[in-house]
Amino acid sequence: MSNPITIKPALPEVADVLVIGAGASGSVAVQELSKNGFSVVCLEQGQWTPASEFAGDKAEWELVKQKQWHPNPNVRGHASDYPINTSESDVNPLMYNAVGGSTILYAAHWFRFLPSDFQVKTLDGVADDWPFTYEDLLPFYEEMDRAMGVSGLGDDPAYPAGEGFPLPPLPIGKPGIKAAEGMNKLGWHWWPGVNSIASKEYGHRPQCQRYGACLTGCPAGAKASTDITHWPEAIEAGAHLVTGARVREITVDKTGLANGARYVDRDGVEHHQKAGIVVLAANGVGTPRILLLSKSEKYPNGLANSSDLVGRRLMMHPYAAVVGTYEDNLESWLGPAGQLMHSMEFYETDKSRGFVRGAKWNLMPSGGPLGMRSGYGGRPVEDTFGVNFHKNLKKVFGRSFEWGIIAEDLPDHANRVILDPTLTDSDGIPAPKLQYKSSDNTTKLIDFHVARAVEAHEASGATSIEVTKLMRDCGWHLLGTAKMGNDPKDSVVDQWGRAHDVPNLFIIDGSVFPTSSGGNPTATIMANALRSMRHLIENRSSQVASAQG
Amino acid sequence: MLTEDQKKIYSKMADVLIPSAEGMPSASEADVPTKWIDDALRYRPDLEPSLLRALVFGAKYDAKESVEALNAEDVEAFDALGVLTSGAYFLNPTVKKLIGYPGQIPSPANDDVDLYIEMLTKVVERGPIYRPTVEVRK
Repeated sequence: MSNPITIKPALPEVADVLVIGAGASGSVAVQELSKNGFSVVCLEQGQWTPASEFAGDKAEWELVKQKQWHPNPNVRGHASDYPINTSESDVNPLMYNAVGGSTILYAAHWFRFLPSDFQVKTLDGVADDWPFTYEDLLPFYEEMDRAMGVSGLGDDPAYPAGEGFPLPPLPIGKPGIKAAEGMNKLGWHWWPGVNSIASKEYGHRPQCQRYGACLTGCPAGAKASTDITHWPEAIEAGAHLVTGARVREITVDKTGLANGARYVDRDGVEHHQKAGIVVLAANGVGTPRILLLSKSEKYPNGLANSSDLVGRRLMMHPYAAVVGTYEDNLESWLGPAGQLMHSMEFYETDKSRGFVRGAKWNLMPSGGPLGMRSGYGGRPVEDTFGVNFHKNLKKVFGRSFEWGIIAEDLPDHANRVILDPTLTDSDGIPAPKLQYKSSDNTTKLIDFHVARAVEAHEASGATSIEVTKLMRDCGWHLLGTAKMGNDPKDSVVDQWGRAHDVPNLFIIDGSVFPTSSGGNPTATIMANALRSMRHLIENRSSQVASAQG
Repeated sequence: MLTEDQKKIYSKMADVLIPSAEGMPSASEADVPTKWIDDALRYRPDLEPSLLRALVFGAKYDAKESVEALNAEDVEAFDALGVLTSGAYFLNPTVKKLIGYPGQIPSPANDDVDLYIEMLTKVVERGPIYRPTVEVRK
């Protein structure tokens, strides 16, 4: 689908609402608010990404995926990216800065949190409960399923009963059949993958073409990214989108209410967009960065930070990969990638294992022949090259698949986003620095799950198995850095995303998650954003706004 | 882009990485030094400085020795040499055909539920495995 042609009318001097970030949650906010009569301006530091730019249908795909389309902004280094100091982090944060945000490059695993994910303290005695339950969020999950055109099979016994998915499941392929055979031998749970990828034509989106290139942008336009699922309607409803707009700070009026944001355009010119209400949706790293940058006389520790929790409790989901290789040609370059299936067998807490919480497993195809043929330097040449180049290729290519393990990491005040004292982005704005260590609970959890995934591959008949216990480039899920809760002393925002300190500032991205779950967060980020914005819209008459915007 | 002299040096190093074996052509037999490396560098211009550093080793030592020395002394350049050479090799349609890879072509999503639905009944028969929401006293 081509991008909507945008005729840019003048921006309102004072918008009803300013949204910062045009990704998963910001897109939901802009669409909902615009449709309901609010004047909305959205500031996005990135640009549009037409599907024609994606490389997944081109011969060079595997070469450019390691640089130009790499999910790590420090590797990719696009003009729209900002650097992130990761020298004190076990995991690299991954993201994409564009209209559509990280949904441009996400794998589209459409994972719904479980009831227990909202009651971690009550059920497992650790971390915190969410201020609402699974049942409170369920109608918003189901609405987002329809908005994103989700493909899946209903009645998964890992979940409470509910509405089915709008589209039938994508194929699990030969790897899925092989994996299912092993899981059935063991008596373990598996289910066809749920993906926000169209298995059939859905609205303007065509059917998945199985390029297996979901993580580098869908060249077919079958994957639901919010630039195509939400933005056309938002623009039609009158929303104003400013691309290339890097926010320097959220500004406040004399009463301490947010009254807009100062931003730098790609010509280096600084602007101030005024607004009555500000919605922050810049992801779990970008959001605390902006809040910490927004220091003022009234808020010397950064905006909305009286609890000292802004930037703290960073959770990034350490990820382990267990790859099995098989005798048969499984055509494992075919998508979706995407998840072919998932398993929730070991998701719920069993304290006899020596740790709490669990992980979702996702079955992933293994991609093309080049794979990640880098990082071999220092190992003997003949391990990877020479005659073994051909032998390894024949053994592995098309014949392997991965059980990926998304480990729930619990919140820790010491894991945090701070402002780097020296590193800046291309506009001279201080860059974020991450301090993040994986916990003992996470290490035990990964050890257990990896051992089970090895057993799963063995039961399926794998001829060899390779384990990566912690992938450094795995920090897709940036969560927890502006915690949601009922007590202002122990949280940054309330259950509707409204900042306790600044009642006309809303935070609606993954920053607000009290806990991380053991699965992909985008469905929950978008459902929660929808819930927050619906509440704002329904209570607009009593919502405080800056009169000095 | 590499000069003709650089391509001669590169050709020897590329054939150490990808020799003729197992029924597959070597890098030079697959036109990697003469054709596909130019395309690979066009897609990954960021790797050219590292590749040029690798070629300094190639000019100094014989082919096998140069690759070994590079791997020991300049890991970044070795990795660039490996990625570019492998990537260029797989750009060649003949190579793709030989390994059974159709390339990045469309393959419409088929419905394969019938292939596994009986297997899935065993999962369903085991019943729910989630913990439901519990009532919390406020």
